Amino acid sequence: MAKNSLLIWLASRSSLPLFLLGKVIRYIFYFGFLYFLVGQTKGLAGYESNQILFFTATYVLIDTLAQFFFRSVYSFRPLVISGDLDLILVKPVNALFRVLMGGPDPVDLITIPPIIAVVVYIGSLLSPSLLQIFYYILLIINGLLIATAFHVVVLSFGIITLEIDHTIMIYRDLTSMGRLPVDIYKEPLKGILTFLIPVGVMMTLPAKALMGLVNPLGIVSTLIFGIALLMLSFKFWNFALKKYSSASS
Amino acid sequence: MKKFLSIFRISFQQEFAYKLNFVMWRIRNVMQILVFFFLWNAVFENRTGDLLGYNKEKILTYAFMLLVIRAITLSSRSVDVSGQISRGELSNFLVKPVNFFKYWITRDLSSKFLNIIFSLLEITLLLIFLKPNLFFQTSFLYVVFFIISIIVAIIIFFAISMIISFIPFWFPEIAWGSQFLFIVVVTEFLSGSFFPLDVLPMGVYKILKITPFPYLVFVPIKIYLGNLNYQEILVSLGIGTIWCFILLIIMKRIWLKGLKVYEAVGR
Repeated sequence: MAKNSLLIWLASRSSLPLFLLGKVIRYIFYFGFLYFLVGQTKGLAGYESNQILFFTATYVLIDTLAQFFFRSVYSFRPLVISGDLDLILVKPVNALFRVLMGGPDPVDLITIPPIIAVVVYIGSLLSPSLLQIFYYILLIINGLLIATAFHVVVLSFGIITLEIDHTIMIYRDLTSMGRLPVDIYKEPLKGILTFLIPVGVMMTLPAKALMGLVNPLGIVSTLIFGIALLMLSFKFWNFALKKYSSASS
Repeated sequence: MKKFLSIFRISFQQEFAYKLNFVMWRIRNVMQILVFFFLWNAVFENRTGDLLGYNKEKILTYAFMLLVIRAITLSSRSVDVSGQISRGELSNFLVKPVNFFKYWITRDLSSKFLNIIFSLLEITLLLIFLKPNLFFQTSFLYVVFFIISIIVAIIIFFAISMIISFIPFWFPEIAWGSQFLFIVVVTEFLSGSFFPLDVLPMGVYKILKITPFPYLVFVPIKIYLGNLNYQEILVSLGIGTIWCFILLIIMKRIWLKGLKVYEAVGR
């Protein structure tokens, strides 16, 4: 599937340099702005400049990885409204796996290595211990599990309501609030980002773990939360599949 | 005139035909403003006095003004032109007795009108929930300059969006790619929609000031906030007006050249 996605990418390569350039410019502008800002303010919301930059780098990493893995979610709607999802359901491949991870985005494959390099560089400036690095990696994986759960929920809603594009963009806008530590937001938004749409768990907690601001109990409960959310999303997917009408096929 | 009033009305109704689309677009705008608002709120927490030329009242006003200014300048239907060209649908339009540019300006105005109404509603709600202290411009002259700067911004964005939309005349396959790069990314950042441009180092800021982008969002807000003196306002409006003429001339030339190579692919 990844090979097919790459072949499709190569066939329409003329617009891909533009997307790649757009993403690179976006990251440069954002980091540039934040760098100048925290340079002037000497920190934000009780965090030092490098810590703020690390929160943002962690957000960019998780967001880019999720986009890379789950890009095919963006093209799910035509499958449902045309009834072509039937063709996937009858194949001997897990249908959820196919629609969720069936078309990784090669543009992100190019951007991921430099993003990891930026994360490692800024992270090294915070002088973390080995255990903190381990916690960080663990919570990054947990963040990706939560991202997976959200994408599964978006797909399920897509089957039930035939609506994907806006749901996924709202998800992305909400998670984009994790560019900065959720501590800067005020109630009730902070509560929403912590409990309802756990952007804080996805984006802020991993960075905090690297800074030594999360205790082991917090890590374990976060992992349980992530796995539980994923399980629930699978159940929702199974429920949604039963509502699939196979219309137009 | 009657013809364009009808276009305005139909275009307005079309926005309501895709209600969810429109509502989501507005929600996304509000979310962007919330991030901006809370970021700067955190910056000014426990801080008195100015930072980077702004006090808390003015920077939070900047956030709220973004909602209005973006609704006025950046909301547009003319971004649809690139798709019409790449799919060959422009042919349907060319046979009609309507001026192409007047048609899209009318549709843009219709979209802006609707977006302004919603942005004002959103601002009211945000004011109720966030209860910020905002700055209100009381100088009549500054308000007049502000309105002029908005008109300049509308013209600049229309010309930029048209120029980008004409790229598919030559490269139909990059219709969305070019929109993404130039309208979504470059315009978003360089217009001051994401952060006030004068927080950047002076050298970068000076270079940006000679491009057309700051005149879309940043300059109108700066004028409203009273952060520019009369001389700076006149210079800014002068540069913005020059860009209007340059971009409109480029737009017209590219349109005429584009028509000559238009192949109505897909028709």
